Amino acid sequence: MNRRNLILAAAVGAALAMPAHVQAAEIEWFGSVYAKFLDGDRRLQGALYNNAESTPGESGGDQGQGIEFELMFRSQVSNQVEIGGRLKSRFNQNFWTNFGGFGPEEEDPRSAQYVKLRGIYAIITPGYTWIDSATIGSNDWGMFDPLTQGKYRYIDRDNASGLLFQGSIPDANLRWDLARVSLPRLFAGPRFLTTRDPNDPALSYEVQDAAYTGQLRWTPNPDFNATAIFTYVDDDEIDISDIDMRDGQNTTSRYTNRVAALKADYSGFNAIDIGGSFYWADYSFDSSECDGNINGNCRFSPLLGEGADDVAWFINLDIADVLIPDLTIGLQAFHVGADFMSVQSARRESDVLLMDGWMSTWGWGRPDYNTGNRFNGNARAGVGYGGWNGETQQVVSLMADNDFTDFDEPYAHTVHGYKGITIVPQYRLGSWEFKGEVSYLDYDTNWQACGSPELGFRAGCGSKYPRNEGTNSWGLGGDYRSAYSPYQDRETWFYGLRADYFLDLAKGVDVGLYYRFIDDEDRRVTNAAYLADAYDGFPDAAGFALNEDWVPNIGLGGCVGCDDRKAEYSLIGASFGYQLHPDLYGTIILEQYKVDLIDGTTDVAPVGMAFEASNDFGWIEYLTGDHTKNRIGLLFNYFLSGVEFGAAVDWFWGDYKAKFYTDQNGQRVRLIPTGDTVATPMGNISTDKVDLEQYRLKAFMKVSF
Amino acid sequence: MKKTLRSIIGGLALASMAATPAFATSVTFKDPVGDDHGPGEYSYPTDAVYLPGSFDLTEFKVEEKGKDLEFSVSVNSRLADPWGMGVGFAVQMVFIFIDTEADGGHTGGIPGLNIQFADDSAWNKVVVLSPQQQSRVMAEARVKVADKLGDVVVPRRTTGRGKTISARVPKAEIGAGDITGWGYQVVVQSNEGFPDRADFLTRKVNEYEGQHRFGGGHDGDCDPHVMDILAGSGAGAADEVALQHEMLAYECGPDGESVRRATLRMVRQ
Repeated sequence: MNRRNLILAAAVGAALAMPAHVQAAEIEWFGSVYAKFLDGDRRLQGALYNNAESTPGESGGDQGQGIEFELMFRSQVSNQVEIGGRLKSRFNQNFWTNFGGFGPEEEDPRSAQYVKLRGIYAIITPGYTWIDSATIGSNDWGMFDPLTQGKYRYIDRDNASGLLFQGSIPDANLRWDLARVSLPRLFAGPRFLTTRDPNDPALSYEVQDAAYTGQLRWTPNPDFNATAIFTYVDDDEIDISDIDMRDGQNTTSRYTNRVAALKADYSGFNAIDIGGSFYWADYSFDSSECDGNINGNCRFSPLLGEGADDVAWFINLDIADVLIPDLTIGLQAFHVGADFMSVQSARRESDVLLMDGWMSTWGWGRPDYNTGNRFNGNARAGVGYGGWNGETQQVVSLMADNDFTDFDEPYAHTVHGYKGITIVPQYRLGSWEFKGEVSYLDYDTNWQACGSPELGFRAGCGSKYPRNEGTNSWGLGGDYRSAYSPYQDRETWFYGLRADYFLDLAKGVDVGLYYRFIDDEDRRVTNAAYLADAYDGFPDAAGFALNEDWVPNIGLGGCVGCDDRKAEYSLIGASFGYQLHPDLYGTIILEQYKVDLIDGTTDVAPVGMAFEASNDFGWIEYLTGDHTKNRIGLLFNYFLSGVEFGAAVDWFWGDYKAKFYTDQNGQRVRLIPTGDTVATPMGNISTDKVDLEQYRLKAFMKVSF
Repeated sequence: MKKTLRSIIGGLALASMAATPAFATSVTFKDPVGDDHGPGEYSYPTDAVYLPGSFDLTEFKVEEKGKDLEFSVSVNSRLADPWGMGVGFAVQMVFIFIDTEADGGHTGGIPGLNIQFADDSAWNKVVVLSPQQQSRVMAEARVKVADKLGDVVVPRRTTGRGKTISARVPKAEIGAGDITGWGYQVVVQSNEGFPDRADFLTRKVNEYEGQHRFGGGHDGDCDPHVMDILAGSGAGAADEVALQHEMLAYECGPDGESVRRATLRMVRQ
C-alpha cells in the first residue's frame, strides 16, 4: 500500500471513529480590495481601463476612480475534497461618480457594482493509485502549453471551466493530465462564434462545445524531460439535414481542430542546454460558411476561413560560461507556419519567442495623428499616443488579446507566420550587467496574392486569411492580431543592447541604459504584373470611406518599387531607480523613440482596404514620415505588509512630420507639396509638422487580507 | 568615435578589475542533481511555469567582491520569467542562512519554511534571494519575521541569468571575519505572490500537488516547505541525498501539528 493509500485508510478509520455530529469543515476566507485611479489628458471615460476596444460600449478610458472587492474562499472539506471560489465585484465602469451604482444606469452590470460568482472549483483526491486528483469547475489551464491548450489570461483565469484529471506513475517517472475544457462561446471559433447562427434559437448550439487535451510528461532523469500533448477541439452544431426531433437530433461538426506537440529538454552537457518543441495542427472547417470576400463575413475571425494544416517548431540553446566566464548565450530558432491554427492557444501572458519583438509604444496607439478627431470612435478606443509601456508578449493566436489592459501592462502580439533566429548574449563585468539581442525575422506569409498570384488577391486570399483590422505591416507597426497581408515580401532585423549598473551613491542607484533598433522592410508586390490587381482603386472603400479628393493611380503606373515599405524604429532610454524610503521605491525613466517610415507612396494603401480607410471613421492612417516621441516616466511602489500602492505617470511629447512620395518614370520619388495638404487615400494630409502630447497616470492600491 | 568607445570599454574593464581583488576569497558548495524533492517525496506544482529542475540546487557560491559579498545560487534549469518580474527569474526564492559567529544565533526558522536549526548550527543572518522588490520583501519581513528582522538581509537587486540567481550585499550587513570560516545552509523555496497569512512569501507543500502547490507533504504546517538544501560537506556527493532526507525528516500529529520538526545543520568548508 503506498503512502497515499495509508493516509486514506487512516482518514477512513478516523471518520468511522468520529461521533455523528462531525464538525463542519473550516472555510478559509481571504481576498482583496483593489482601487484604481486613472487620470490623463485624453478625457475619456469609457471604462476604468485604457484599452477595451473589442466590446462595444466598453471602449478605453483614461479618467476616473473606482474600487472593487474580491472575497475568496477555500475549504478542505475532507482529506479527499477541497472546494473554493470567489465573489468579485465587476470592475469596468464602476466609477465613484456612479454614486454606488445608481448612475448612469443601475441595471447596467458594467456600472452597477454587482458581485459575481467566479472561480468555483472542487478538487477530488480519492487516494487511488491510478489518479491523483480530479478538478471540476474553474481552471486557467496553465498546466499545458501555450500552443496547444494555453493558459487563460489573468482576468479570464476562472472564466474557463472544465474537467481536469491528473495522475502519475512514479516508477516510470510519468505524469499525465487529461482535460475537457468548455469552449468560450464568446470567441473560440471562426468569425468569433461557436455556432452558425447565434440569432436562431432553433439552430443555435454552443453549450456542448469543448476542447479535449491529453498530456504525458516524462522525466526519466534530472537532465532530460519530454512531453507529448494532443488537443482536439470540436464545435458541434445542429445537423440541419435532420430537423425531425422525434428520434433525437443529429449533430455535425462546424469545425474541428487537432494539435499535437512533442517537447524535450536536455541539460546533461556541461555548458550547453538544448530544448526543442514541434507542433502539428490540423484545422477543418466548412468554408461555405464564409462568403469568399476578403472583406466579407469572415474578415474578423480568430481562425482561417478554410481548413488547413501546418507546423510550428522551436529550438533553444543555452550556452553558459564557454570561453569567457560570466558570459551566457541564449539562442532560439523558430518557425510558426502561416496556416498553423490552434484555437486554444494562449492569447496573452505567454511569450513564445526569445526575442523582445516589436516596440509596444507603437502598438495600436490610435492617437489619430492627422486629424485629432474626437468624434472618431476608433481613435478614442485606443490606448493613446503613448501606446503600451510593458514588454511585448508574442503569442501564436489570431486573437492576441489586449482588451481590458492599462498602458503599464504588456502588449500581446501575434507571431503567425514568423520564422527566424534570435541570439541573446548576457555578460557581467563587475557591477555591470549587459544583455544584447540580434534577431532576424523572415515570414511564412511572404507571398503574392496569398500564394495564388494567377488568381489575384480577391480570389487567391478570398475568405481564407482573416484580415481582422487589416493593418499588418502598415503604419507604425500594424495591428497585433492582423497576421496576413495579401502581398508581402518582408524581412526584419531586431537589435538591442541593455546595461544595468548599481551606482554606489547614497543608498545606491539602479541605473539602466538601453538601446533598440528595428529595421523592417517589405517589398510587398514584387512583380509588375500584379500591381493592377493589388492597387485596384480600393473599391471596397470607395464612396464612403475613401478620401474623395484622392485620385486613384490604379496599378501604380507599373512602378513595382513604389509600394515598398521601409521602417526604422529606434529607442534610446535610461532609467534610474532609488529607494526613497524603506517602503518606497521610485524610478524615473527617460526615453526617446524615433521612426523613419516610408510606407509606399501617396497612391498606396493596404491592399483590399475597406471601411477602415477614413481618418474620420477608421483606424488606417497616413503615417509616412519622421516620428519622434519622448517620454518621461515615473514609477512608484510603496509596500506595507498586506497592502501595495503603485503609480505610473507618463508624459509624452513628440511630433510627426509627414513626407510624401509618388511614382515618376517607374521610380519612387519624393513629392514636394505645393499646398497645405496632400491628398492620400486616407485623407488630405497636412504638410505641417504635427505636435503630439499625452499625459497619463495610473495609481492603485491593493489590500490583501 | 571608435577611440571614445574603446576608452569607455577599457575604463569599464579597469574599473571592474579594480573593484575585484586578484585573489578574491570565495566559498563554493555543490549539491547533487535530482534531489529537489525535500525529504524524499515532494513533487512540483503542476502548472507549466515550474520547469523540471527549477528548485534543484546544484551549486552555491559566496565571494568577496570589494566591500560586498556576492551570493550565487545555481539550479538545474534555465531561469525564466513567466510572471514578468523583470529580473530574469520568477518562480524561485532562496534563503541563505549563515552562521557567522561561534556562539549565539537563531535556531528557529522563517515562517512558512517549517524548519529549525540544530543548536550547533544556529544562524546569525539570512540572505533572501527573491524576484520581488526589496521593499515588498522587507514589508513582509517587518510583520512576519519581526523577532529576527535585524538579521534578515534582502539585497537591493537580485537577478537571474542562465541558471544562476545572484545578488550582492555589503559584507558589513552580514558580519565580520573570514567567510571561509562561516557555516552556510541554502534553502530553495518558491516565490509566492499570494502567501498564506503567516508565511514569508513562501509556497506551501501539501499532501497532493496542485497547480501552484508542492505535493508529497502534509496539509498541515508540520512538514518542511523546502525543496532542496545543502547537505553533508557540500561536495555534491551522492550520499548527500540521504543526508538531506535525514535533516528534512518530520513527524506530524493527528491534527497536523508538528511532533518532530525538520532540523537543518550548517555546511562548512
